[in-house]
Amino acid sequence: MPTANALTAIRRSSALLALLLTLAACAVRLAPLYDQALVQGITAANADTLELLASASGGTQKTRFDEREPRYYNLIGRLDALAIQAGTRPPPKASAADAAVPSQTALQAIADSLRKMSDTDREQGLTEVEVQAFRGQILIYMDQALTYEAALERY
Amino acid sequence: MAALDVNQLFTDITTAATAVVNQDIATVQGFSERQVQAISQQAALVSSGIVSGQITDATREFFLDSLEHMIQNFLATLRGLLTIALEKLWNAVVGVVWNAINGAISAATGLVLPVPVKA
Repeated sequence: MPTANALTAIRRSSALLALLLTLAACAVRLAPLYDQALVQGITAANADTLELLASASGGTQKTRFDEREPRYYNLIGRLDALAIQAGTRPPPKASAADAAVPSQTALQAIADSLRKMSDTDREQGLTEVEVQAFRGQILIYMDQALTYEAALERY
Repeated sequence: MAALDVNQLFTDITTAATAVVNQDIATVQGFSERQVQAISQQAALVSSGIVSGQITDATREFFLDSLEHMIQNFLATLRGLLTIALEKLWNAVVGVVWNAINGAISAATGLVLPVPVKA
């Protein structure tokens, strides 16, 4: 037969356990985890993309596309890979499983922009304004990807 | 058992929440301003390029579709940033409450409950 003191201790322990479980359930993760390697990959791809855009800033001639083709392929491949990396992190349990990761969308859009730029460059060359427009578009998406990924470094 | 000081807890929660909000609002505001300015410039560049013929038939539809898409993803990124801020706010408040409970119970019980940060 438990004593009154023992019963009090059991009740107190039970109350504490209930409190522990309740508060533990309150702590949440609503967004993906920070991935330093991904951020480093995006930063490096950003620098190389801007270098390609700078080299084409005056417009391009399709007759010299062969010189640029390997750089296009390299960047498109890397950005496609980074988009996959951004989207394959375990989703937070508290959010909708099908919620798109905005940095993944942005990285995929950058790869698509370079793909379109490469195709147009190959077929007819690019005007100066077209290169400026590709650059502006890519910078906007890059800001979206880097800002979101940097914000994931919470603590 | 030391009683939990409700007034102090209120002050601590407010301080923690304000710190998170101030930091994240600055991030969101800076990002929004950059994006709105850049998207406006992009729209002006594309429209003037279409008029001048420097944006050719091969890229015109692509750039117009992309403008719509980048605005959609700008809003999705904003929502993502606010979600991260909400998570940090929530966990900061839980952390403060947890610390207050530990302060109230540890001397009497010897228990120190770990502060949960991420679930």
